[in-house]
Amino acid sequence: MRKLLSICFIAILFVLQAFLLNTHATSPDGEYDYKSAEFKAVAAQFLCTCGCGQSHYDCDMAGCNNTDAFKKDILTMMKKGMDKDEIRHYYVKTLGEEILMAPDSKGFSLAAWVMPFAALGGAGTGVFVVIRRWVKRRDDTKTLEEDLKEADEVEGEIMSSMIEKERKKYL
Amino acid sequence: MYLLGNAAIYIGLTLAVYSFISIVAGILTKKQTLVDSGKGGVIAVFLSASVAVAVLLYALATSQFQFEYVKDYTSSELPILYKLSALWAGNAGSLLLWTFFLTMYTAMIAFSRKMRGNPMIPYISAILLVNSIFFFFILGFVAKPFILLNEIPMEGRGLNPMLQNPGMVIHPVTLYLGYVGLAVPFAFAMAALILKNMDDYWIKMTRRWTIIAWLFLSLGNIFGGQWAYVELGWGGYWAWDPVENASFMPWLTTTAFLHSVMIQERKNMLKVWNISLIVISYALTLFGTFLVRSGVLTSVHAFADSNLGMYFLIFMGVAVIGALYIVMSRYSLIKRSAGEFQSFVSKESSFLINNLLLLGAAFAVFWGTIFPLVSEAVRGTKVTVGIPFFNKVQAPILLSMMFIMAVCPLLAWQRSTVKNLKKNFIIPAILSLAGMILMVLLGIQKAWAVIGYGVIILLFITHYLEFYRGVKARRKMTKEMPIVALYRLMIKNRRRYGGYIVHIGIAFIAMGIIGSQNYDVETMKTLKAGESLDIKDYRMTYEKLDQRSEGVNDIVYADVTVFKDGKLLGKYEPEKVFYGNWEEPSSEVALHSSIAEDLYIVLSTWEEDGTATFIVKVNPMMSWLWMGSGLVVIGALFAIWNGKHKHITPKYTGAMKEVV
Repeated sequence: MRKLLSICFIAILFVLQAFLLNTHATSPDGEYDYKSAEFKAVAAQFLCTCGCGQSHYDCDMAGCNNTDAFKKDILTMMKKGMDKDEIRHYYVKTLGEEILMAPDSKGFSLAAWVMPFAALGGAGTGVFVVIRRWVKRRDDTKTLEEDLKEADEVEGEIMSSMIEKERKKYL
Repeated sequence: MYLLGNAAIYIGLTLAVYSFISIVAGILTKKQTLVDSGKGGVIAVFLSASVAVAVLLYALATSQFQFEYVKDYTSSELPILYKLSALWAGNAGSLLLWTFFLTMYTAMIAFSRKMRGNPMIPYISAILLVNSIFFFFILGFVAKPFILLNEIPMEGRGLNPMLQNPGMVIHPVTLYLGYVGLAVPFAFAMAALILKNMDDYWIKMTRRWTIIAWLFLSLGNIFGGQWAYVELGWGGYWAWDPVENASFMPWLTTTAFLHSVMIQERKNMLKVWNISLIVISYALTLFGTFLVRSGVLTSVHAFADSNLGMYFLIFMGVAVIGALYIVMSRYSLIKRSAGEFQSFVSKESSFLINNLLLLGAAFAVFWGTIFPLVSEAVRGTKVTVGIPFFNKVQAPILLSMMFIMAVCPLLAWQRSTVKNLKKNFIIPAILSLAGMILMVLLGIQKAWAVIGYGVIILLFITHYLEFYRGVKARRKMTKEMPIVALYRLMIKNRRRYGGYIVHIGIAFIAMGIIGSQNYDVETMKTLKAGESLDIKDYRMTYEKLDQRSEGVNDIVYADVTVFKDGKLLGKYEPEKVFYGNWEEPSSEVALHSSIAEDLYIVLSTWEEDGTATFIVKVNPMMSWLWMGSGLVVIGALFAIWNGKHKHITPKYTGAMKEVV
């Protein structure tokens, strides 16, 4: 019984999803919304080559036939049921990686993504080591001081006089 | 006029060379008269640059098309403001403006009342004069602003319409003031090193000039973002274009310096690091100029391709090598570090992490900017590194930065004990967690937004506590009214509270960015007259399409009426402007701003039958971004303002020399 219920539930979800996709894809009069979220997910991946420096999703340059044709092609592929990754794969294969708005996450281009974090990790380790060394240096001095058994009261007095001086300065 | 303009540049170059030689000779021979002569030359160099700027402005204002520059960047019907702003529209003019600012800063320092009798002045002047020589050389031999044409054209090409916007009048000027301004701390640092005088004085003066340069860089970027938002019609404000990156990188490194210099002040540590940050920031301004002027990268900002970039690259190389030489020759002096850290958890450590993240962010921007070149060199394929890359890479780094910014104010100097941490953070942490849970319950479910806003809540609470505790401590002793206590607390410690205002401004900006990046809604619809489109709570009804002429420009506009939740908001007119002397039209967006969101309407295309296509966008929290920008500026001004209560310029106590 429980199994049946879950199958029904999944089936309803599929139907609902198909319905939602269908309603989002076209408006009642058949005109497609090129600013819809699902179109954005696909078109924002590709660079418009008209010189605007924007993606095909963003490009709204008057008379840019390039982007008009590209958008129509993307829409045709979406209607065929191709998903975002399939369309991406198709264009990379046809036009090369240059068409993408951001480097691919494989091959040499992966270096673009990894390098900033690798550098940050390396530098972070360096900072950790430096702080540890400085803290250690302080601890060593402290041990020495303890051995010498210097009176804390004198330091306390100096400290409170410094605080008092600072207080007067800022008030 | 041709003669006057050119003479001003060549005389400027000669005088700059003379002043430099005179000052250096004066320093070496210890003759005050030579140094004074060189300092007099600094004023003359400034006057030469001023004359050259005045001549070019006059030529632009009066449409003297016999000059190539005037012909290339103006037309006779252009409003006078834009004719004048064409000064920085092209390579030669913008470099002339740069030179003008540089010579102005040099003269300001050489004759600063507060620095009278200071032995650093000849050194600083000489270093800045080297920069001036380079720029005058470029103006005299590479990018000449006063080239005469063989035939005088009837009309000029006109100014790129994108630049015909008040934001574009201010944006380049402020950005240049920031760029040029970074040469000053560089000169201060180098002078201090040469004089072997790494005391409190140079830190305070360098920091002051760095804040000024930082403020102008911030203003430049803010105005640039504002301009992009209202003028480009794509609804964004930052495109991670190579040139935008070039101005963001020095902003990040100077921000790092402004924090790490506090450790040097308090603990006499990180001297080499701070000098390096100053050198890096200065080098990055030259690197940015190399990017814009060389054409090696595709950018919407780029000036026409020229070999200018190569000169900047060479100059940058010389400057960096020179600086490295000076640093290395004084290394034994600056490496001496008296300080130590008491604990891992302290304000000092948080400043180091802050530096790590800011430099990490700057490196990520740098790497992304040059990666197309790296990829082309390695694989022969020039990939594009655009908005998605930078957004993805920068988001975690800058969010971590915000977290450090949130916790830092409540961390104690030296050592934060567990007790201290519990006392300071338990309530802010609980409140921000509660805020995050509430956000999720209210339907905000994007992870970045929830985490981002959670961190921002933490930041607001910790900063509020800083103000609250300061006022409370002051009132305990002075019994002042809370508002009086707050005022006096702040003006007696301008730097600290100015910094906190900047932090709050950054938090507002972050709120705007998170809101507008994650929850924007957009639609594109073709409508017949009388039809409407709905987006979020708005209904936009398209009334009619019409056309009017303004000078040589034709403007096509749509009348639209906007309702929100059924209530009339008003009538708006998105426009498309067709310029008489420019091929590409531009969009004038119709904007309705409120504290919660912006309604952004663009007239995209239309047909002869009167149907029009609109792009309509709802951008949440954009006003917060601009308010935050305002707070950043106010905070920086507050920090550097020389109030009557405290003279910020410190007394010079370093080594005295025979010449000043």
